[in-house]
Amino acid sequence: MFLNFKTKERGAGVSQPLRLHRSKLWTKSFVFLCVCVIILGLISLFTGAYDIVGQDDGLQMFFITRVPRTLSLMLTGAAMSMTGLVMQLITQNRLVEPTSTGTIEWAGLGLLMVYVVFPAPSLVLRMGGAILFSFVGTMIFFLFLRRVRLRSSLIVPIVGMMLGAVISAFSTFIGLAFQMTQSIEGWFVGSFANVQMGRYETLWIILAVVIFVYVYADRLTLVGLGEDIATNLGVNYNTVILLGVATISLVVGVVSAVIGNLPFLGLIVPNIVSLARGDDLRSNLPWVCLLGMGIITACDIISRTLIMPFEVPVSLILGTFGSFVFIVLILKQRRNR
Amino acid sequence: MKKFKLSKLVLIALSLMMMLTACGNQNDANNSNGGQGSTVDITDVHGVVSVPINPKRVVALDNRTFETLSDWKIELKAAPKDVMPSDSTYVLDESVQNIGNHREPNLEIIAAVNPDLVIVGQRFASYYDQIKELVPNAAVVDFSFDVSKDAATPGKNLVNGLKDSTIALGKIFSKELEANKLVSDFDDAIESVNKAYNGTDTVMGVIVSGGNIGYAAPGSGRVWGPMFEIFNWKPALDVDNSTSDHQGDDISVEAIAQSNPQWVFVLDRDAATSDASQAVPAQDVINNAPALQNIDAIKANHVVYAPKDTYTNESIQTYLELFNNLAKALAE
Repeated sequence: MFLNFKTKERGAGVSQPLRLHRSKLWTKSFVFLCVCVIILGLISLFTGAYDIVGQDDGLQMFFITRVPRTLSLMLTGAAMSMTGLVMQLITQNRLVEPTSTGTIEWAGLGLLMVYVVFPAPSLVLRMGGAILFSFVGTMIFFLFLRRVRLRSSLIVPIVGMMLGAVISAFSTFIGLAFQMTQSIEGWFVGSFANVQMGRYETLWIILAVVIFVYVYADRLTLVGLGEDIATNLGVNYNTVILLGVATISLVVGVVSAVIGNLPFLGLIVPNIVSLARGDDLRSNLPWVCLLGMGIITACDIISRTLIMPFEVPVSLILGTFGSFVFIVLILKQRRNR
Repeated sequence: MKKFKLSKLVLIALSLMMMLTACGNQNDANNSNGGQGSTVDITDVHGVVSVPINPKRVVALDNRTFETLSDWKIELKAAPKDVMPSDSTYVLDESVQNIGNHREPNLEIIAAVNPDLVIVGQRFASYYDQIKELVPNAAVVDFSFDVSKDAATPGKNLVNGLKDSTIALGKIFSKELEANKLVSDFDDAIESVNKAYNGTDTVMGVIVSGGNIGYAAPGSGRVWGPMFEIFNWKPALDVDNSTSDHQGDDISVEAIAQSNPQWVFVLDRDAATSDASQAVPAQDVINNAPALQNIDAIKANHVVYAPKDTYTNESIQTYLELFNNLAKALAE
C-alpha cells in the first residue's frame, strides 16, 4: 500500500513537469507551434481550385471562399479538440470525445428529426435540433456512467460507442421510414468543400465557447479530479458538469450543422498535449486549440490536393490519421501498466 | 385533416373496388388462357423471355417503368414504394403491397402475391436470380441497361434501354400504339436538344444532395453523364478517374467557378425524396452561392433543373420532360 502510494506520487510529479513554469506561455516550443499553424493557414489560403492570381475576380474569390474556409478550419479545429479536452476532464477518461460517447450520433438524430418535422429547415433550426439532441444524449451518457460506475478506461468509450450505435441504428430506421438515408449520409461526411461567404458565419459562436472554457478552466480541472475532491475544494460538481455538457453540445451542434462529422480530432489532440505537458487545463488550452487548428488545416489541405480539382471529404483523412493515433495511444497505455 | 381523411376513405373504397374487379378479371383471364397460348417473346438482358399478354398479376421493380405503367392504368400487385416518387398512384394505392427499398427489400412479398410477370431493372437488377428462384412460374423480365463507367456507350445504352423497354411493355400490355408514340416523342425530343445546342458551349452536370454539390462525370453515371454522349456536349471540366456513382465527386464551389461552365444542369437528389411542395434546396446551393455569381451560366441564367422526381422516377416520360426543358433553355 505504502509502496503503491509512493509510486503514485512520483507518477504525479512526472506528469506535471511544467507546473512551475505555468506563467510562461510563450516558450520556444509554443512559438514554434504558432509559426507552424500560421504557415499552414497561409498554405490553406493559397490552396484551391480557383486561380486567384490569374483571374480578374481573384481577390473577390479569395474573400468569398479562401478566407471563410481557413477561418472555419481554425474555428472548428480549436472547438472540436477543446470539447474533447473538456469531455475527457469531466468523465475522467482519456479515451472519450464526442464521437466515442454517442454525442455526434445524437446530433445526427437531432438533425434528422428537424428534417422530418420541418420542410426545408433553416440553419438555425438544424443547429437547434442538433444542439438539443446532443445535450440530451450526452446527459444520458453521463447518467449511465454514474449509475454503472465503470472506471476501467477502456469500458467507458466502449459503452459510449455502443450507445452511439444504438442511436445511429435508430436514425437509420427513421431515415428509411422517411426516405432520407441518402441525404443524411451525404451530410454526415464532414467536408469543407461548400464553405463560402454567408455559409459559415455561425461558427463564430465557437469563439464565445472558447472564451467561456478558458474562464471556467480551473473549475473544470478540479472536476477532473473526481466528485469528492472537487466538492472538498468548494466546487459545485453538478453545476460544472452541466455547464461542461452544455458547452460540448453547443459546439458539436454548431459544427455538425455547418460542417458535418469530424471524427477523432477531440480524442487525439488533448492526448498528445497532455502526454507532453500534463493535465493543467488552463495552460494546456492554448496548446490544444493551436494543435487542433494545425491538424485539421493540414488534413484539409491534403483533402483538397489529393484528387484536384475534386476533393475528398476531410473526415476521411481525419479518420485515417486519427484511428492510427488512437491505436498508438491505446498500445502506449497498455505498455505503461 | 378532415379533407385528408375523406380522401383516404375514397382511396380505400376505390382500392376495394379495384380488388373486386381484379378478382373478376382474373377468372376471365384464366378461362381465356386455357384456350390459346397468348404470349409474346420479349428480349431482355438475359435473353428471350416468353411473357403472357395482358398479365393480371404484375409486380414492377424498375423505377424507369412506373410512370408508363400508371399512365396505361396497369394494375400492380406489389412495388418498391420506398424508392418511388411519393405522388405515384401506386404509392397512394393501398392495395399495392410495398416491397420496401432496394437495400433491404422484402422479396417474400413477390412470392406471396403469386405474380404472372415480374419487371426487374435498375436498382433491383442484382436480385434478378433470387427473384427467379422465388417465382419459378412467373415470367421475369429485366430491363436494366449499363450506364456505368464500364459501358462503352452509356449514352446509346440509355436511349436504347428506355426505348426498348417501352416497346416491350407496349407488346406485353397491348399498348403498342401508345408505346410507339412515346418512343417517337422521345426521338423528337433528343433531336430538338441536338438542334438547340450550339456545339461549343461548355456544360457541367451536378448532383446536389444535403447541401453538397457532387460533380457528375461526363460520359457515365446517373442522369447527366450519359447525356454528354447523346448530345455531344462539351464538358466544362473533364478529369480522368472521376467516380461516376449516383452521388458524384465532392466538388468545391471554387472548382466550378474555375471551370466557368456556360451551362449548369442540376439534379436535386433530395427533391425526389422530399415532399414536392417544399422549397428546392438545390436552387439555394447553386443560384445563391456567392462564389458562383461570376460564372457565365449564372450570369446568363443558364441553369436547368431536372424535374423534381427525376432521381426516383427516371422513366421515359421524365427524360422526355427533361429533354424538352433542355431544348427550350438551350434555344433561348
